[in-house]
Amino acid sequence: MAVPDALSQPVALDLFEGPFDLLLTLVLREEVDLLELPLVEVVRAALGEGARERWDTNTAGELIVLLAAMAELKAKVLLGEEVDEEPDPDALEARELLAARLVAYAPFQRAARWLHEQAAASVGPRYRRVPLGGAGPVPPRVEDPALLQSAMAALLVAVPEPSLDHINTRRVSIPDVLDRLQRALRRVRDVSFDELVRGAGRLEEAVTFMAMLELARRGEATLAQPVPFGDIAITGVR
Amino acid sequence: MTDPVARAVEALLFLSPDPLSVVELCEVTGESPGPVQRALAELAERHGPGTGLEIAEVAGGFAMRTRADLADVCDRLRERPDEDRISAAALETLAVIAYLAPIGRPEVGRLRGVAVDSTVNSLLDRGLIEEAGRPQGGGAMRYRTTRLFQERFGLRHAGDLPPLEDFELSGEEAERVRRQLIDAGHIATGDRPAPPDGGETDG
Repeated sequence: MAVPDALSQPVALDLFEGPFDLLLTLVLREEVDLLELPLVEVVRAALGEGARERWDTNTAGELIVLLAAMAELKAKVLLGEEVDEEPDPDALEARELLAARLVAYAPFQRAARWLHEQAAASVGPRYRRVPLGGAGPVPPRVEDPALLQSAMAALLVAVPEPSLDHINTRRVSIPDVLDRLQRALRRVRDVSFDELVRGAGRLEEAVTFMAMLELARRGEATLAQPVPFGDIAITGVR
Repeated sequence: MTDPVARAVEALLFLSPDPLSVVELCEVTGESPGPVQRALAELAERHGPGTGLEIAEVAGGFAMRTRADLADVCDRLRERPDEDRISAAALETLAVIAYLAPIGRPEVGRLRGVAVDSTVNSLLDRGLIEEAGRPQGGGAMRYRTTRLFQERFGLRHAGDLPPLEDFELSGEEAERVRRQLIDAGHIATGDRPAPPDGGETDG
């Protein structure tokens, strides 16, 4: 079973494919040439999108320390400097913590392996997974037919027709009003809007207003309203 | 089989969708634990290796189930949903919760060294762990394993786990881990304090 710790995380590069700690070992033994190792890909594999797990802050920090040490080593090799024999004390502490944690966590990894074996050994038996049903439905009681009749009677009464009184029926249409307006304008040159809608309801007034605008849009009439909210003079265009 | 208690217990085990504890069997049959346990022993003997069924102690009770070697033929009758695979990460999280329950996500995360939110959610969804309340004085929700967990892993009850000490690295093994890390260049050689010799309290 794979151990999900930072060091055993697989890294896949052109140069090398395997767990992270093996890569580090090979680098330190100089079996993998640090100069040829694309560090940025190692960083991506360890911490970037390719990482197998989302490490917590502490582990990520430890990984960063290790990667930084690798980067420093590579920089020194590139510059032809002598490689420092004494590692940074902070890095040492981080590594020591990592080692302590690996040892402390080991029992749970072994317990997980034991669980894995247990699960494998427990796949055979099948259980009868039939839920216990509750009590069956209660049979209907024998009732007096008269009671049923009275209950049914209430259901058989016709539903009253809903009143539609509150809904306005549409008595006017724009084409009608338009037609009337056009005829009026053929008879006289000017028509007063107020005259047109005298005695009409709100709806009729609105429809007449729209018909008037339509006439103006078509260029069959011009509109003039000298005073705001005053009468509108509709003048036919001949 | 003439023992009326054994007959009753057999009928109850056949009918029950969940394992029945001795206490439950006593309640339903109205018998005391002695006769119920004798009945269970008699039933276990009756459903021996030569039969298709067995009486198993699992998940805090007793269950009548088919024998493991008949899994194939049983599955031909009733299509069995694919066993959902438990990932290595989920198994380790389960192990931590099984041993240290009740335990909250932050502690599990600290111990495992990775964020465990999605793993814990998945284990909750699969019914392998459940909420076990918050500590007195407030804090993160804590979790424990469920009866389904015991059944899935063939445990007789919640505590039916080997002692964690059995899994601890011996001094020699711990030293080998250290040595491997040194070889890999992660630790400097020299007189460093020995690693802790147990994993029960990390976070």
